[in-house]
Amino acid sequence: MIHPIPIAVTGMGALSAIGCGVAENFQSLVLSQHGIAPIRRLDTHHQGRLLAGEILIENDELYDRLGIPPSEAYTRSTLLALLAAREALDTAGIDPRYSGLRTGLISATTVGGMDATERYYDDYLVSDKHWSFIPTHPCGYAAEQLARQLGISHFVTTISTACSSAANAIMLGARMIRAGQLDRVVVGGTDCLSQFTINGFNSLMIYSDGHCLPFDDRRNGLNLGEAAAYLVLESAELARQRSKTPLAYLTGYGNANDAFHQTASSDNGEGAYLAMKQALEVAGLRTADIDYINAHGTATPNNDLAEGSALLRIFGSSGTLPAFSSTKAFTGHTLAAAGAIEAVYSVLALQHQVVFPNLNFSEPIAGLGIAPQTSLRTKKINHVLSNSFGFGGNCSTLLFSIAHD
Amino acid sequence: MTKPLYIHGSGCVSIQPTFEPGYLFETIQSYAQNPVPALDPDYKTFIPAMQLRRMNKSMRMAIFASKQALQQANITAVDAVITGSGLGCLRDSERFVENLRADEGQSLNPTPFIQSTHNMAAAALALTLDCKGYNMTYVNNANSFESALLDTMIYLMEHPSATVLLGGVDELGERTTQFWNIAGYLKKDAVIPTALGEDTTAGEVAAEGTAFFVASHQPGAHPLGKILAVETRVETDNPEAFIRDFLQRNGLDTTEVDAVILGENGDGRYDNIYRTVGSSLFANIPQIGFKHVLGEYDTVVSTALFVAFEILRQQRIPQSLLLNGLTSRTLQRIVIYTQRRGTNHSVILVER
Amino acid sequence: MSELTQELKAKIITQLNLEDLTVEDLEDTTPLFGDGLGLDSIDALELIVMLDKSYGIKLSDPKEGRKVFETVQTMADFIEANRK
Repeated sequence: MIHPIPIAVTGMGALSAIGCGVAENFQSLVLSQHGIAPIRRLDTHHQGRLLAGEILIENDELYDRLGIPPSEAYTRSTLLALLAAREALDTAGIDPRYSGLRTGLISATTVGGMDATERYYDDYLVSDKHWSFIPTHPCGYAAEQLARQLGISHFVTTISTACSSAANAIMLGARMIRAGQLDRVVVGGTDCLSQFTINGFNSLMIYSDGHCLPFDDRRNGLNLGEAAAYLVLESAELARQRSKTPLAYLTGYGNANDAFHQTASSDNGEGAYLAMKQALEVAGLRTADIDYINAHGTATPNNDLAEGSALLRIFGSSGTLPAFSSTKAFTGHTLAAAGAIEAVYSVLALQHQVVFPNLNFSEPIAGLGIAPQTSLRTKKINHVLSNSFGFGGNCSTLLFSIAHD
Repeated sequence: MTKPLYIHGSGCVSIQPTFEPGYLFETIQSYAQNPVPALDPDYKTFIPAMQLRRMNKSMRMAIFASKQALQQANITAVDAVITGSGLGCLRDSERFVENLRADEGQSLNPTPFIQSTHNMAAAALALTLDCKGYNMTYVNNANSFESALLDTMIYLMEHPSATVLLGGVDELGERTTQFWNIAGYLKKDAVIPTALGEDTTAGEVAAEGTAFFVASHQPGAHPLGKILAVETRVETDNPEAFIRDFLQRNGLDTTEVDAVILGENGDGRYDNIYRTVGSSLFANIPQIGFKHVLGEYDTVVSTALFVAFEILRQQRIPQSLLLNGLTSRTLQRIVIYTQRRGTNHSVILVER
Repeated sequence: MSELTQELKAKIITQLNLEDLTVEDLEDTTPLFGDGLGLDSIDALELIVMLDKSYGIKLSDPKEGRKVFETVQTMADFIEANRK
């Protein structure tokens, strides 16, 4: 059997409602300080009523921090992404322009430039003031701007598969290194809040009118959030050659389709089950090897039931189910960024040997009998599963393993 | 990538009657408008009414083309669905934005929101084919399809006995077309077939369409052809070097190519890139176009692939597509090179 | 059939894009979901929007919809009882 190349995570960057930078995010998780509040930054009819995980930094300030001239059109998702990606490259100690290696960027987004499009939708037709934003609408545009800023030119692409997007981007990065296509890759995702997504989830009647309650029997919907997070992946050998200690290893991944309904998951979480199973197979691990599951846990009636059922199917029973939690009560559901921000949290769990709490939980889902970890818990963690499930039945799982010194 | 991808079936919906069996551009439908919507086949052939009712054009075209491809390949199931789309389900995106601008705070219809999700065509295919396998959508401007193709190649290396449904699809949007006009993307007084050559005006003829393929590592009984390699570059100062290096990496030089398909689209600002590539690398072989009859959209390169396989299979180049009047004794190996507005360069190598 | 059920059928057909169906085809007591017409959860949401926009009735819990939308008749009865 050919042993696949070990994939090292050598850098990460993150921006969310609970912090600017990986360290701030970690602090908030450890102190149970969530970032969910009535919407105040985004201009929407639902301001003050619906709760979301907003990053309370205006676009002007993002431009300043990044040193981008205000005349250049950058949508919010791209600005957030650039901050996160730069942090990832800094912690990895890499400048793609000078490495002489084949470096790629695989990004993910669902909003793309929609925050600008929805704002200027009628304005474009009557005034030329914001015309520079017209080209920014497509999802792929953000990745290209990012790549240019970061000095990545060898390979650039964008994945958009709803809420599993960033997990799929991370997965592709590892697969491309293993296939000998890339030496190094920046992978992750970004989505800012938008009227489009807030109203969209509200129209599906799955936007909670209060704080989201992941895995709780009383749950009635999600809170959205905005975030950007990126990882740097390279082969373990490459990291070793430059004496870079990996933060963790990406040892497993899987993608499967529920093929049940456009938006709803099957009751027994078939897609989720298949994705988790694949991740374990790729990693060559058994269910007993998993110490923590960072669940998708959006707190919609449908997801948590389907995911919970799938967890029980794969791990056997509530007695053999490892510690699990959803961190979406901290950050909100960050859509295309979710897979990446939660990958960062999975790596943090490995680095610090902690399970992060699932906030707002009190009653287990009737009929499932499973309860998430509700307080910060120190435990021996060698392997973490991270789930991200999106519309269109797109189910993805990543498996991260500890990097021993 | 050492192992070739065998293609066992294909399907194509576009502004020409490409969905008609055996059609190879003998007659070209002309248009004097911009944008140009794709011709609609009888979708009910493949899609029951209760499913069709909610489907946007991307989904309908994708399913139709996929079913044609599967039929030709003589299979009913695949292991994975890998797609590309530059703009996703644009009309539903527009509809939802318009609804929310008119009515935010009131009850909004959820259907356009759901349908606007970029991976809905791939999702619809998974549902139609009951395929629980790998399902991916690339939304990366004019390299969206190429990313899907690259992923297909990697996937089949990982799963050598699998079969993949691979495709690209893009649809037009009314308001978005107005934005493109403002941004100067669209050609004025556009016609199909588009005039190509030295003195063309600025702008593209915007269109829509799809092409889907059944791919595997097994040669099978009657493959349409093989895809050997694909590469993309967002930007390059030297497309000739990009293509030459690509060929070299695949153990070839330009003299070993029998025909080249170029993405010349009549945009006077960028077509010189194709002419330079054509004259410096491929001066003595047939140069074939496709965008002058199919229009321009992010994933139109998937239809170039469709055209390439038809040419390889039938061993002839339709006059309507031939740009330089040259013929070739053999048609074994074809290179497809395309870019859009000076970026998103890609090169694909196919063989009989 | 009553004027309301007539009107409802026309609205259902338009709203849910049931192009091949006519008002005459749709019976008052045909189950709309499951075996019967075969509508799904997205259709249920669309019907909730229709109830609000056309009859001023807001359903806050999608699960409520299940009983209301059983048949055209149950919808008509609910609207009569609750319309503004």
